[in-house]
Amino acid sequence: MTGPGDSTGTPATTSPTTSAEAGSARAEDAALQDALAAEHAAVWGYGTVGAALTPGTRGEVVAAQEAHRDLRDRVGALLLDRGAEPVAARPAYALPFPLLSEVDACRLAAVLEEGTTAAWVWVLDQAAQRTTRELAVVEASAAEVRAVTWRARAGLSPVTAATPGLPA
Amino acid sequence: MSAPAPLPRPAGALTRRTVLTALGVAPVLLAVGCSADEPAGADAVTPAQVDQLAGQVAVQEELVAAYEVALVSAPEVAALADQARAQLTRLRAAAPSASGSPPSGAPSPGASSGPSSGPSPAPAAVAGDAVAARATLRTQVATAATSHATACVGFSGARAALLGSIAAGLRGQDGQLT
Repeated sequence: MTGPGDSTGTPATTSPTTSAEAGSARAEDAALQDALAAEHAAVWGYGTVGAALTPGTRGEVVAAQEAHRDLRDRVGALLLDRGAEPVAARPAYALPFPLLSEVDACRLAAVLEEGTTAAWVWVLDQAAQRTTRELAVVEASAAEVRAVTWRARAGLSPVTAATPGLPA
Repeated sequence: MSAPAPLPRPAGALTRRTVLTALGVAPVLLAVGCSADEPAGADAVTPAQVDQLAGQVAVQEELVAAYEVALVSAPEVAALADQARAQLTRLRAAAPSASGSPPSGAPSPGASSGPSSGPSPAPAAVAGDAVAARATLRTQVATAATSHATACVGFSGARAALLGSIAAGLRGQDGQLT
């Protein structure tokens, strides 16, 4: 499978983000960099989502943004501990579609969560260490649970996915 | 100033031959232009893992059976049941034995290398009571998710990704059964 995108936030392509063999330390670090890039994008994206929602519906946005911010910091620290330079956030990101309504904002939140789910499933694919897989499976699940909420709010169907983060 | 970076999107294609083979979608291989010479690497499985994969297939089969029971009194869960079946199909494709039942000599459920805490059989008593059926099903979905997530960390490569993805999918289903 391909990675969720490169370490600078580029969308998924047909090329893996690393030439290292899956299960190697190098491949694991590269996948964690991809996950970090996705978390950067999610933190930024939730700022946009929150601005497009009415105040009464922002509670979950704040909670989700905090979760992604905490995870971003955790992954960054993990990479630093390994002697890797954590990928930085981009100054700005291009929205996949214009936000013209609250429904659009909820759709964007779902897209953000799907991106991070894919990134963490990719970490599962590439990871060398059990502890990394433990982190990845927890975070993939957390992101999918949030994605379900946002898909429902956006009126998308189905709201659940059989194998989130993997091609259908 | 450089152009803004696009937001990451979910992965949309496969490149790893082992994944393709395991999941039965090999024709995609050429479309994405990946090497056909990649070694098994992280996707190699030990005999014990073969047993454990068979155990996870059995866990999923129990969940699919539980959905069948719940559908009698809660037909609104049909779409979720379809997803559980799709998960089972992919698990079977990834499991070398692909039979769904632990092979002869495999540890019994609850043993260290067997399926981890799979769902208990669906009680027939829930038929006819939609609320009870959904509640029972929710417990079974959560149990299966935990089982797959626990098993996931003992694997590497495509099988770890598949088990983790299914666990995540079931966590998402869980919240829809309240």
